[in-house]
Amino acid sequence: MAKLLERRLTPADSPLAIFATTTGAFLVAMFVTSFLFLSYGASPFEAYFALFHEPFATLRGFGYSLVRTSPLALIALGTIVSWRSGFSYLGFEGCFVIGASAATWFALLTAPGAGIGPLPFSFFLPLAILAAFVAAGIWAGLVGLVRAWLGGNEVLISLMSNYVAIFILQYLVGGPIRAPGSLPETKLLPRATWLPFIIPGTRAHAGILIAIAAAALVWMLLQKMPLGYELIVTGFNASAARYAGIDVGRRILLSAFFAGGLGGLAGMVDVLGAQHRLMDGISGGVGFVGIVVALLARLNPVAVIPTALLYGGLSVGADAMQRRASIPSSITFILQSLAVLLVLAFDALRYYKVNFAAFSGRTPPPVAEEVSK
Amino acid sequence: MKHTLEMKNIVKRFPGVLANNNVNFTLQGGEIHALLGENGAGKSTLMQILYGFHSMDSGEILIDGERVHLGTPKDAIALGIGMVHQEFMLVRRFSVVENTVLGLREGSGPLLDLQRASQKLKELSNRHGLALDPAAEVGSLPIGVQQRVEILKLLYRDARILILDEPTAVLTPMEKDQLFAVLRKLREDGHSVVLVTHKLTEIMEIADRVTVMRDGHVVATLAIASTSGQELTRLMVGREVNLRADKCSQKRGGPILRMEDLHVQDETGQEKVRGLSLEIHAGEILGIAGVDGNGQSELAQAILHLREIKSGRVLLNGADVTRLNVAGHRKAGISYVPADRRHVGSVTEMTVADNAILGLQRKYTRGIFRGIRETRESARGLVSRFGIRTAGIDFAAGKLSGGNLQKLILGREIMRGSAALIVEHPTRGLDVGAVEAVWRELLRARQEGKAILLISAELEELLNLADRIAVMFEGRIMGIVEATGASVEEIGLMMAGIMPGGTSAIGATMKEARHGQTP
Amino acid sequence: MSAFVVAWLTASLRLAGPVLLAALGETFAEQSGVLNIGIEGTILLGALASFLTSYYTGMIWLSLLVAVLVGIAANSILAWMYVTVRASQVVAGLVFNVLAVGVASTVYRKALGNSALPESITMFQPLHIPILSNLPGIGPALFSQTILFYLTIALAFIAHFILFRTNFGLALRASGENPAAADSAGISVQRMRYAGTLISGAAAGMAGGYLVLAQVGLFRETIVSGQGFIALGIVIFGRWHPLKATLAAMVFGACDALQLSLQIFGTHIPPQLLLALPYIVTILAISGLFGGKAVQPAALMTPYVKD
Repeated sequence: MAKLLERRLTPADSPLAIFATTTGAFLVAMFVTSFLFLSYGASPFEAYFALFHEPFATLRGFGYSLVRTSPLALIALGTIVSWRSGFSYLGFEGCFVIGASAATWFALLTAPGAGIGPLPFSFFLPLAILAAFVAAGIWAGLVGLVRAWLGGNEVLISLMSNYVAIFILQYLVGGPIRAPGSLPETKLLPRATWLPFIIPGTRAHAGILIAIAAAALVWMLLQKMPLGYELIVTGFNASAARYAGIDVGRRILLSAFFAGGLGGLAGMVDVLGAQHRLMDGISGGVGFVGIVVALLARLNPVAVIPTALLYGGLSVGADAMQRRASIPSSITFILQSLAVLLVLAFDALRYYKVNFAAFSGRTPPPVAEEVSK
Repeated sequence: MKHTLEMKNIVKRFPGVLANNNVNFTLQGGEIHALLGENGAGKSTLMQILYGFHSMDSGEILIDGERVHLGTPKDAIALGIGMVHQEFMLVRRFSVVENTVLGLREGSGPLLDLQRASQKLKELSNRHGLALDPAAEVGSLPIGVQQRVEILKLLYRDARILILDEPTAVLTPMEKDQLFAVLRKLREDGHSVVLVTHKLTEIMEIADRVTVMRDGHVVATLAIASTSGQELTRLMVGREVNLRADKCSQKRGGPILRMEDLHVQDETGQEKVRGLSLEIHAGEILGIAGVDGNGQSELAQAILHLREIKSGRVLLNGADVTRLNVAGHRKAGISYVPADRRHVGSVTEMTVADNAILGLQRKYTRGIFRGIRETRESARGLVSRFGIRTAGIDFAAGKLSGGNLQKLILGREIMRGSAALIVEHPTRGLDVGAVEAVWRELLRARQEGKAILLISAELEELLNLADRIAVMFEGRIMGIVEATGASVEEIGLMMAGIMPGGTSAIGATMKEARHGQTP
Repeated sequence: MSAFVVAWLTASLRLAGPVLLAALGETFAEQSGVLNIGIEGTILLGALASFLTSYYTGMIWLSLLVAVLVGIAANSILAWMYVTVRASQVVAGLVFNVLAVGVASTVYRKALGNSALPESITMFQPLHIPILSNLPGIGPALFSQTILFYLTIALAFIAHFILFRTNFGLALRASGENPAAADSAGISVQRMRYAGTLISGAAAGMAGGYLVLAQVGLFRETIVSGQGFIALGIVIFGRWHPLKATLAAMVFGACDALQLSLQIFGTHIPPQLLLALPYIVTILAISGLFGGKAVQPAALMTPYVKD
């Protein structure tokens, strides 16, 4: 008697299959979350409407969505670069903070009367990008060093480095660069350092353009450059990488540096585009949501921008939903993470295929596939 | 005489391969029965069925005349069958007694009673001459002693039938002698031992009967007293489909690749290549014959510097390439087809096109970008030139059959235009058509003047392809013979450590050990 | 000066408790071969559960029990993902933490509606062990902790006993060292790994209760910020041994307490440096500088597939 679900030797991995399981998982997550809405006495349709309408159907809300999208996208890109090289880096919260700090420090230096003084924006921006990228890149690179030389577990070390970075931030805004007053934050940054607004009537700023450019660069790196090829081979199979003449240790270092740099850019973009000052709590968990975005986007740089937009929009919509329907915004965390957990579970489904012959009770002929040796 | 064990008409199929084809095997009480055959002959599968790891498709198993069902190892253990696998099932961090007691629920309730177990273990070890310290940590014990632990585990569970899978593959000659002493004692005590192996000399030394398997079926079951090493070799090695390669004789050129006094160690510090020197000429195939595990893979990896060379030199066209890194070796002109085609030679998750340039990614560039067009052209070229059957170059390489994947890797390494090519077990697991294709390509490369080092455990392959055959045993070259006119028996004996002329090379290692050199 | 030391010691032990508890549970998980990053989120869920139960019933032991049960329930999902679905343990644990934050925030806000911060709940009070707690110097520090502290220390010894002196512990450790060997000895590696994960869930849940009921006294959404990860570090620092983990937790507690004590006594050292100290120390301990990798369970994080 044949079984209904037959186990394959290797999972179905056509883009269609992957897209199907991912979207299916997200939809199921939405379905489950609607029960939560019900428990608040709200109709799921109304709740979802509130959740999606503001960020995607109103201009102002869309502007805010773009604001939230940029750092998420950059962190997701950092996740992609590091994880696909086989380096499971989780310290993006810290990179965000370090990058934001570096950008702030540099911006304060260009305030009138300060060390460097005002710079034309076309000079300021690349330097600010450089400062944030390099500072955070070194931050992550240290973890890469520990992994490459000492064999330390980058998962735990990077997780804990987040806290160290946050303490550094708290120290900075509590003392050396604090603005006069009692709040743990810096002065408002000079207007000349702000990223330009790109959609009139909204707070959408050029950070989204930086994120899009970064996505294109990461895509190009991974698909079109020999270095990207080497990183991907290293991520799949370190033995094959060595066989191909790739210096695995060096590649991991490089990957850590790039990934950290992208995380730092996320911080820079947020500080110079939205917050305009450095403050305690500026990261707010974006380092982790960004990783979740990357996972939902299946570590594919092309899918990052739309996925980040979805999650960025969800967080804007969550605030709107909380204001209008008094449903706590934290429900979106549930939706966002549940989706990815379901993706993981659904992935296991790709190992099976429906055996239509079972419906008629026939035993299918044995599959003649050569044994992998 | 009633048989202790009878396996009748055993049939076992795996996807694509008939591992056991109506196999009959019997075992008597108080005998040592060898199960002889090459890699892939089906002997391991048969024993795994006996131990309950696999289920047979059809056939029956009788113990002491009664039909039994062996669904899991637990069933086998309950019936007194025990198995020592080639890769020891030991937890290195545990002590001997902890490993012995693992999985048994004896003693009072949930508590471990290591004291009592140690006592019982000591008694057993004394009785069978297997000296052991129950408290010793297994990971720190030499391999030979670890094997004793495995055997004691079986005796602790009152096993009457002991299956040993390639037990001497990891032993030094001294340890092997000690093992054989233990086996003889076990035989005296009425235990039955199945020795799965392909080492002829040892079979002649210790076994009472031998069953020879080839390509999934039993070729013969003989009493050792009535046969010889030569006859067994012939029975083991002959194939049903006799493949013949079209090798034209050609004059070989100057020396291209040279190894001088190479010493290479493995991860545990054991020396695997002991002072090996070889010279390979342009337009020749030098075959390395030998049972797997005598240092061949370590040699191949060392030549490419995938493994550290303790001492010695590798010279390519006269230039010393020993210290170059892997990329440097490839650039200098050494190509390598590794034994593990799925986990080293290719990245199965990547496309055929991407695998076609593995190792060449820095060459197929256009400016700072990858030369995608050139990559695809090269991949298409490989596919057509080497007859690789694939749905397209954009499909994952992991989807290719073994033969096609091997053609891809071989093709890639040949087309690099290197002066030297190292090929390791190229036709392992391939069907006849793929074997012929691979052979054709290797001969073609030979014709084009490459220096080729062919490492293979298949004598037939070496006899067909190689110009000269060097036999490797315990990290040394036993001898080099011309392929034309070479005698299979002589090579087989050298593979087993017996020098031409009858003297055993096994003594050489022991002599070194006595003189204080590291074996 | 000695007053400082006493205060420091007392605080060290007090702060070390919850982290040690979580680490003890995680030791079981890792010894079976599972790296359970999700304990960070589990501690949070346990903290919330214990707070709410205490808030509504006032019974602290019941609150602790509920925290344990919540931990087990939450980790059963995780265990399923780790062992049956064989998802990446890092990914599943990480995403679970985000989910836990979402669930905790949502439940907390719903339970309390729009009311302001609640009055404090019943807490475990420090026990004062007669005679011993009057010893000069170490008396108050060692012998005036809450009962949960002593319970945790006892659990450390019990954990050690179970891991190294019982059949279950042997089978569990074999599953994490060499699952193939365990399998061939007739042990169900799946079952062992489920057990390990659920034990870590129970301990983490209880650690959350410990935090709320014996340390902080109320619930904040930020009550758990890295203690779970520190616990993971302590497992490595303590070389996967419950008793050594106890010492490691004390070191961590000492670093954590240093910041509190120094603040009371006034100092010019920036407080953030001291706050960061436990994390930095743990990073150094697990960086491999002191040879950590060679000692870990050999099959940690490797899903086991029966051929």
